Amino acid sequence: MGEYARMNFFCDERRCIKCDGCSVACAEAHELPDYISRRKVITMHEGIENMEYSLSIACMHCTDAPCQQVCPVDCFYIREDGIVLHDKDKCIGCAYCLYACPFGAPQFPLDGAFGTKGVMDKCTMCAGGPEETNSHAERELYGQNRISEGKVPVCAAMCSTKALLVGDSASISDIYRERVLSAGHGVTKQPYGWDVAYGNKK
Amino acid sequence: MKTRYLSLMLLLSTFLFGAKADSSIWGTNLLTHILEYDKEGSLHMGHWFTVIQSTYVKPVLLFVLTVIPLAFIVHYALVGPKRFSHKGKSIMMFPLFKRINHGVAAISFMIIIPTGIIMIFGSTFGGGTFVRLCKDAHAIAAPLFFLSVIPMLITWFSRMLFNLKDDIRWLKIAGGYLSKEKKPVPAGMFNMGQKIYFWIVTLGGLVMIATSVVLYFVDLEIIAPVLEYYSISQIDMLRISALTHNIIGIVIISMFMVHIYMSVFAIEGAYKSMINGKMHEEEVKILHSSYYKELQEKGEI
Repeated sequence: MGEYARMNFFCDERRCIKCDGCSVACAEAHELPDYISRRKVITMHEGIENMEYSLSIACMHCTDAPCQQVCPVDCFYIREDGIVLHDKDKCIGCAYCLYACPFGAPQFPLDGAFGTKGVMDKCTMCAGGPEETNSHAERELYGQNRISEGKVPVCAAMCSTKALLVGDSASISDIYRERVLSAGHGVTKQPYGWDVAYGNKK
Repeated sequence: MKTRYLSLMLLLSTFLFGAKADSSIWGTNLLTHILEYDKEGSLHMGHWFTVIQSTYVKPVLLFVLTVIPLAFIVHYALVGPKRFSHKGKSIMMFPLFKRINHGVAAISFMIIIPTGIIMIFGSTFGGGTFVRLCKDAHAIAAPLFFLSVIPMLITWFSRMLFNLKDDIRWLKIAGGYLSKEKKPVPAGMFNMGQKIYFWIVTLGGLVMIATSVVLYFVDLEIIAPVLEYYSISQIDMLRISALTHNIIGIVIISMFMVHIYMSVFAIEGAYKSMINGKMHEEEVKILHSSYYKELQEKGEI
């Protein structure tokens, strides 16, 4: 990771098979209530031939995070590696971040006064929050802190087709370039299937 | 009867809370919201909300909260308060119902306005429990205002209609507040200033209530057909509501400050007429000269 590297999510839409595994893994790993979905899989151009593809989206950890700009209590902070996190002790659940967010990332539990908007919850890129790293309080409020343990965020780690990538932009673009260059290389047709195991019989 | 009542309540509550099950914000409509973001033909509300909220709301409110009191101090020092004799006969201006009505609205404003200001300057107060409690108090006091604004609009409606002859003359001399002279001011039961304040607070207040309901329930099912008709997405409606709420809120805050200054400082002891309902003859004769003439013609004085 370079000096100015920022952590990013990238979803390779040619690989995403819409299995929804990322959002299930996220919800399980962070023990989220069932109405909170930090990560979602969406399908673009649904039903249009050759145009349809799926993507996994969550907080995109924007460089100029609009949520941080509009927050009236300044509960957001951006780590040096570009991960956008927030302080749940400061958050008042006004939902301004949701109005500013282009991706619908901020989520609100129904536990505020009279069961409406509680304190905001969103993807932390598995990097916890302002509490002491890997403490019980951090685990309770923000879920696992896998980054501190050197692990990849759980959604990208379990992605079965490795469509969802996470890392600094340089590494992501290296991987993507390699994929584009090697796609279909030296293969004239799909080689494997039950009828053609171990190559051509004839 | 009981079951009918219960089913009605259930139906009504599903309108408000049923939407939670299938959110139009995070559910199936999420995709349309993302596609609309800054696409050609979209309302660009995400962009406008971010720009206005992050750069204008706080400074404008800070400006209002400092410049208006400064203007009051200058006015108080240069022109000074208007004093009226409290010896003569007093005229009944506000019957009990209107006073209670005004009192309820005043209490709700005393809660809503400071908590609203605290929320806008939330970072100054450090966020957390205190600001969260203010947010809850803001929401609790809102129905109180709603209760008072409807009868207020009905009972004062006819007296608050503009009467161009008096009102334009009142505006030209700024209500006589820029001179120390005690000349009769052209005004009926309410002067132009009071009328402007009334319409901003009642009609603006109704807009505030409507936008607050949209913001409070996030997925408001009952407005869905309206939004569909105008092809506005729910998230854009939330953005429009938040912006409208903040802009009209700041206008109401500034008007409210003028209202307090007028009743407590600019006209000495004027607030008392909202407590006992009576206004002294000299005050009516000068500040509400047309109303005084009207009473004389009716032979009530």
